[in-house]
Amino acid sequence: MTLQMQPQVTRDLRLAARQNLLPARGSGWLAGFGNMFAKEMGEWFQTRRWLWQLLIWLTIINGFVGIILFVLPILESFTPGINSAMEKPFEGFPAGTMALTHYFTIAVLTGTIGMIILAQDEIIQEKQSGTAAWILSKPVARPAFILTKLMSNITGGLVFIVALPALVTLGEIYLDIHQVVSLVPFLAGVGVFMLGLFFYLSLAILLGVLFQSRGPVMGIPFAILLGGGLISSFIPQIAYVLPATMDKIAQSIVLGYPLPAMFVSQIVSAAVLSIVFILAALWRFQRIEL
Amino acid sequence: MDTSNSLVIETHKLSKSYKEVQALKDLNMSVRQHSIFGFLGPNGAGKTTTIKILLGLIQPSGGRATIFGHDVHRESVKIRKRVGYLAQDPRYYEHLTARQILDYTARFFYRGPKDLIEARAQEMLELVSLEDKADRPLRGFSGGERQRLGIAQAQVNYPDLLILDEPAASLDPQGRHDVLEVMEKLRKYTTIFYSTHILDDVQRVSDTVAILNQGKLIAEAPISELLAGDGYSAMYDITLMGEAETALAEARARVVDQPWVQNLSMTTTDGLIHWQVSVSDDAAAEDLLLRLIQEDRSLKIKHFGRKTYNLEEVFLELVGKENSK
Repeated sequence: MTLQMQPQVTRDLRLAARQNLLPARGSGWLAGFGNMFAKEMGEWFQTRRWLWQLLIWLTIINGFVGIILFVLPILESFTPGINSAMEKPFEGFPAGTMALTHYFTIAVLTGTIGMIILAQDEIIQEKQSGTAAWILSKPVARPAFILTKLMSNITGGLVFIVALPALVTLGEIYLDIHQVVSLVPFLAGVGVFMLGLFFYLSLAILLGVLFQSRGPVMGIPFAILLGGGLISSFIPQIAYVLPATMDKIAQSIVLGYPLPAMFVSQIVSAAVLSIVFILAALWRFQRIEL
Repeated sequence: MDTSNSLVIETHKLSKSYKEVQALKDLNMSVRQHSIFGFLGPNGAGKTTTIKILLGLIQPSGGRATIFGHDVHRESVKIRKRVGYLAQDPRYYEHLTARQILDYTARFFYRGPKDLIEARAQEMLELVSLEDKADRPLRGFSGGERQRLGIAQAQVNYPDLLILDEPAASLDPQGRHDVLEVMEKLRKYTTIFYSTHILDDVQRVSDTVAILNQGKLIAEAPISELLAGDGYSAMYDITLMGEAETALAEARARVVDQPWVQNLSMTTTDGLIHWQVSVSDDAAAEDLLLRLIQEDRSLKIKHFGRKTYNLEEVFLELVGKENSK
């Protein structure tokens, strides 16, 4: 004989109600998401992690922009021509364009590397240590586990790698030229930067689901990031698919150039591939044995 | 509805294979409500595989299993709302404290005022006597403390079913004693399904036992039945006193001639003769065995009784038989 319980009248709920504790919200494929997301956000913002992340990205990105804006003009007096040589390609563009262009170069490269490093351990670590099995022995849906990792990292990345350095960059440029840069092209460029980060984050999450060791989870995204440009010089079609030149796309937008078909294709492809990676990770993780 | 005999776990031809290895073979098992069900077997017998299938952590290759009537594969989240689980080697986030772990676990089940959730975590800390270590990061915890925390997090949702995988394996004798005591305390509130290879513990707290060997269930019965020898062969212990060798030989012949007597082994110590008679028909033995021996009055019977096994003997005999097949 099988025990037939009325679902809403389990002893668990009666005891909880007695204590004014209510059953947790979230069911179906989002069961457990709220609790896990709150915990992951706590890791970003309620530990010293936020301070380290803030220091790292402000130092790397805004330090670089600061050198371009404030240090190079000083060096001009010691090494004549150094600053004017850098400014020359930007003659005729609005003031601050050079700094914005260099901002995208450094932010896209270092930000993507940072995102890959941050994301590479998210799934592998939980699988290897056994904490994934522990969490999933609770009323937690597997899709919620993957989506938590995705959403928490994209939030952390958005705040520390994208938003704060971008704001400080705008402040640095204002300090230099006493003008506010045109926000629409700047935000469009930041959007492209963000899309690139999302692509690499979803790829790292998928690889973390597929593999048991960190090597491929870091190696494959780095190969695409650092080798994509090189390969596309031999096989140009690659540049239509992989987001190998997101910095150049962002710069083109800021400079007001019309976007070539390759750049448009790269943006569309990055968005589509990111969604495919997430769906593949959700599908595969549903079947993984822990 | 009389729930005292209701089944909490049911498996039907449950199996699991990994490439060429059959980890679990057609497991049919049922666990009654409010029982402490000991799941025994040597290492690699398939105990953890079974537990992981029940929790939805791995998928069965064949057959089906239900908990509270829900399918373990399709309705796993619904089941896990009412289950507490302690893994064989429990792992948690090392940088969190015991209190934070319990708080985090409780929030998978409950929402409500923060202080009530914290009170629930505190209650669990007290249950396992970890109040004084509650605010230390887990990385400094000993094996026994981790195991106690494991029991606390498994119990945080007042589960209707507690699944414990080797709960006392890594503990010292005092730790084992504590864990068994907690299990006994919890028995009136919940059903406990636990795997172990520590037979003394099973004999002490379990009411039902299943023995798994090489992925196959070789026995499942109330522990009293297993210890009585039911299910394979009953054994009688007889101690005799007597000088007359002829009378002894004749009595032995009378016993051995019975069709229900499988074996008679004899030893002698301090002038006493010990017989161990294994029989296939317990009722016939109860009725006739003593009378057959007493036919010759020159033999004095010092002791006559059905042998009571300990679990280790039962386990070794069953596993040994199975391995020799």
